[in-house]
Amino acid sequence: MKRIFIFIALIGLSASVAGQDVLSCRSVSLRFFSSAPLEDIEAKTSQGVSAINTASRAIYFKVPITSFRFKKKLMQEHFNENYLESDKYPYAEFKGNILGDSDLTKDGTYAVETEGVLQIHGVSKTYRVPGTITISGGKTTVEAKFNVRVADHKIKIPSLVVRNIAEVVEVTMTAEYLPAVKK
Amino acid sequence: MLHLRLLTVLLLPASMAMAQEDLGAIFGKDSVRRDPVTATFKSTRIINGQSNETLAKRDLDFRVAHRFGDIGGSGGGSSTFFGLDNSTDIRIAFEYGITDKLTAGVSRAKGSGNFSQMWEVLGKYKLLQQTHDNRIPVGVTLFANAVVSSMKSSPDKEDVYYFDKFSDRAGYVAQAVIARKFGNAVSLALTPSFVHRNRVGYKDMNNMFALGVGGRLRFSNRVALVADYFYAFRDEESKDYYAARGTDFYNSLGVGVEIETGGHVFHLNFTNATAVLENQFIPETTSTWRNGQFRWGFNISRRFSLGGR
Repeated sequence: MKRIFIFIALIGLSASVAGQDVLSCRSVSLRFFSSAPLEDIEAKTSQGVSAINTASRAIYFKVPITSFRFKKKLMQEHFNENYLESDKYPYAEFKGNILGDSDLTKDGTYAVETEGVLQIHGVSKTYRVPGTITISGGKTTVEAKFNVRVADHKIKIPSLVVRNIAEVVEVTMTAEYLPAVKK
Repeated sequence: MLHLRLLTVLLLPASMAMAQEDLGAIFGKDSVRRDPVTATFKSTRIINGQSNETLAKRDLDFRVAHRFGDIGGSGGGSSTFFGLDNSTDIRIAFEYGITDKLTAGVSRAKGSGNFSQMWEVLGKYKLLQQTHDNRIPVGVTLFANAVVSSMKSSPDKEDVYYFDKFSDRAGYVAQAVIARKFGNAVSLALTPSFVHRNRVGYKDMNNMFALGVGGRLRFSNRVALVADYFYAFRDEESKDYYAARGTDFYNSLGVGVEIETGGHVFHLNFTNATAVLENQFIPETTSTWRNGQFRWGFNISRRFSLGGR
């Protein structure tokens, strides 16, 4: 009988630990920017979602492609229709881990690296992205900047507009996390 | 006891793995997309008729539409280089997005039908937008124009282009474009239309209803097949009167290829209608596909984003 108690206690403990260690953010800000000879392209969204498990150091992001807003509506239409094909591939998703051994429960600012798989346009690629995690008073902020090569995700740029669209796009993200509410 | 240990071994890592791997699950299933369906059509015109699309705010659309002469029949053939020596109608237009839902425009068309030298003002309003979750299953856009001919009046009162007063030169069209995008490859539009012409010939109709259907079939991200057809409800008496005098009226049918390159949209099309304006091609088309009386035509749309920075 003792063993059954231990068993139940262990299960219960592991579940509650998982719940407490998860931080989430439902308004991840993402911006991407590309500079080509003829045109700069910029788009923003704040509709990304993200979660971090501070114990397992897993990190997760997801953003709806159609939520990106461009200054030029026609550009936004082309982005969705011709390049990202958001009807077929409505989300970009990242699943990874925070590397290193920084203690993500103590206040402080940590320069970290994450490694994981980023899926855009239905094509997955492994990325290693440097970022900053700031923890202060129960609030965790993550900032990161990285480059995405459009060809890596099979996003085709016709030669006609090659001077309008850059091959590499710079992505900037900011997210503020609070302890996830258990469902 | 053995099977309990086994359970522990099996369950514990499983519950921990859940916490690690399935972080996305805390956000629930993919929320149903409430956002509007965009790009049902690539341009504000299908071929002859309107699509449900309007221009984005502060976008300027410069449009040129051209219809050549008959490819075959008595007016076509090699002597006119299959119609390319002639142009039945040319329309040059500037259209502008006042808001994302309201477009206004002005145009000049050569005109083909009862009148020529046409000046048009138009308005287009996106009343409803189809949504991804099908809460709104179709998009509805209203279109209206007023057209005035600046041609010289005939001295003969019997002529249809005898203008007693200014209003004789005017005509109007009102339409509702009901459109739906099925998946990302097929779009259809149904366009109930009303055409009013202040001055028409004897036994012709001042007021005429018509029903248009149009569609777009996408081959690739940039190339699509487009077609539209307008059925004009001309009454039998009017048809018989004109048929007895050697004039038959036909419904307009256009088929074409749509090519999109950045800010340009090209339509390369064939149509029996000689005119570009709704005011003329709906009630006044007298050429038919059957007699080689169809023509090569093109629509060019160049959009400029005047907003931005």
